[in-house]
Amino acid sequence: MSNTSTNILDIKNIEVMYDNVILALHDVSLKVPKGKVVALLGANGAGKSTTLKAVSTMLASERGKVTKGSINYDGTSIDKQNPSQMVGLGMVQVLEGRRCFGHLTVEENIISGAYSRKLSKGDINQELEKIYTYFIRLKERRKSQAAFTSGGEQQMIAVARAMMAKPKMLLLDEPTMGLAPQLVAEIFNIVKELNTKEGVSILLAEQNTNVALKNSDYGYIIETGRVMLDGTAKSLLSNDQVKELYLGISKKGRKNFRDVLKEESLTKKKIN
Amino acid sequence: MVDELLFFMEVLVGGLLAGTMYSLVALGFVLIFKASATFNFSQGAMVFFSVLAFCGFMQDFNIPFVLAFILAALLMVVVGLCTERFVLRPLMNASEDTVLMATIGLGYVLEGLAQAAWGVEVRRLDLGIGDFPVPWIADNLKLFISALDITAGVVAAIMIIGLFLLFKYTKIGLGLRAVADDAGAASSIGIPLKHIMLLVWSAAGVVALVAGCMWGARAGVQFALVDLALKALPVLIIGGFSSIPGAIIGGLIIGAVEKVLEVYIGPFFGGAIEGWAPYVLAIFFLLYRPEGLFGEKIIRRV
Repeated sequence: MSNTSTNILDIKNIEVMYDNVILALHDVSLKVPKGKVVALLGANGAGKSTTLKAVSTMLASERGKVTKGSINYDGTSIDKQNPSQMVGLGMVQVLEGRRCFGHLTVEENIISGAYSRKLSKGDINQELEKIYTYFIRLKERRKSQAAFTSGGEQQMIAVARAMMAKPKMLLLDEPTMGLAPQLVAEIFNIVKELNTKEGVSILLAEQNTNVALKNSDYGYIIETGRVMLDGTAKSLLSNDQVKELYLGISKKGRKNFRDVLKEESLTKKKIN
Repeated sequence: MVDELLFFMEVLVGGLLAGTMYSLVALGFVLIFKASATFNFSQGAMVFFSVLAFCGFMQDFNIPFVLAFILAALLMVVVGLCTERFVLRPLMNASEDTVLMATIGLGYVLEGLAQAAWGVEVRRLDLGIGDFPVPWIADNLKLFISALDITAGVVAAIMIIGLFLLFKYTKIGLGLRAVADDAGAASSIGIPLKHIMLLVWSAAGVVALVAGCMWGARAGVQFALVDLALKALPVLIIGGFSSIPGAIIGGLIIGAVEKVLEVYIGPFFGGAIEGWAPYVLAIFFLLYRPEGLFGEKIIRRV
């Protein structure tokens, strides 16, 4: 991890503010090695989406700004870039909540991802066929209006659309949000496939710690805008703190809310 | 009896064709609404500005008709360019309400500029098409239909086909529809909002010029054109704010309904119901079908 030239993304101590007053990230540093999958884990409001938007330069459209630190992508600073330039450089973000173009057909949605590339009709069709080999389900539904497809299909559309831009790196923001377990597995299978076959580096933000770590090489856990813990996915999965706080498993076995209440009432009795 | 039927047909056809003139104005609103989700209050001023410039080029500089039209169209592209650069870009991340207010301001600027540059007197615009019944139709079908109305109908048809093809089959059209659905997602996959805004405002400017020519030929090129554009409001409510075919059909409905009502029911109200009848119709639509006939339904998955 120490050799900088092998990192496609290198974030150093960034601080992010919204509206010049709300501090969303205090100090986040992370690295994504070329061709690897890195998971960014944490609860709601921890700063996962903000980190991803800082990288894709989508922050500006939400009145956010990187106020300290630096972000380097593929050897250059992203300071002066805008989102469409970032797409041109091969970095595409799949936004949280899928965000398909509801009134467009599935196929039009996917084609729209190639907007930044200058492709002929034939090239586009060739690319489409390649994309459909990963997203077989979408090929069957190519003519339906995107708004009427299921949540899982919409997530696939969003990823397929991003892939049409031929990215070197994908930023996935909670790709499994609100999906059934089989679909979560299906989405992650596709993500892994894209990573290994197309060589796309991936930074993914997830709340689903367990599945995310099982499909990643490295993980970062952030809380209230700070990186609390990082390590290889394997080491994090076996880390006791991670187990207790994010996987709901403690040394004494499964811990649930009732146990917490019991502990609390015990300590109260002691005080009395 | 036959005479009555003929008279009704004449009123209806006249109304439908006059309605296409509303459609032309409404088209400009739809274009901008699709991309910015904003009602462009300056559309009326754009109509006035563009056609006054067109008249000015012809009458003050003696530029020939076709060249003057091209110059006026180019001028509207420049207006679109300036609007994108100086109004929309600084307001890129502002709320839709803010952009709406900005369009009101833009309207005043355009009205002022037009009058400062070309003067305030009413100008006559001669397109070489008379606003009187076509003799051939009057002789053969016994219908008195204005040549200008027919021209407006043909022009509207050409414009709708052109715009439909542009949106459905070109890359920039796909980009526009993507932006109309979700501007944030569109920019995340590299669709430059700048280009789309520029395209839409320029197209709306050219549409305004065409609409202005039709109305100017009928009523004279004057300040009243600005308010006339507000007639597009009921057209849009009926047709749907985001639909190009809706703008056309909404215009036809408004045109036909207001003429028929004026002739047959008007006398009971002491006439002149043309002015408010469309708005009554619009209220019914707002109550029972708020997205209009062809507006994009708000799709919610359940």
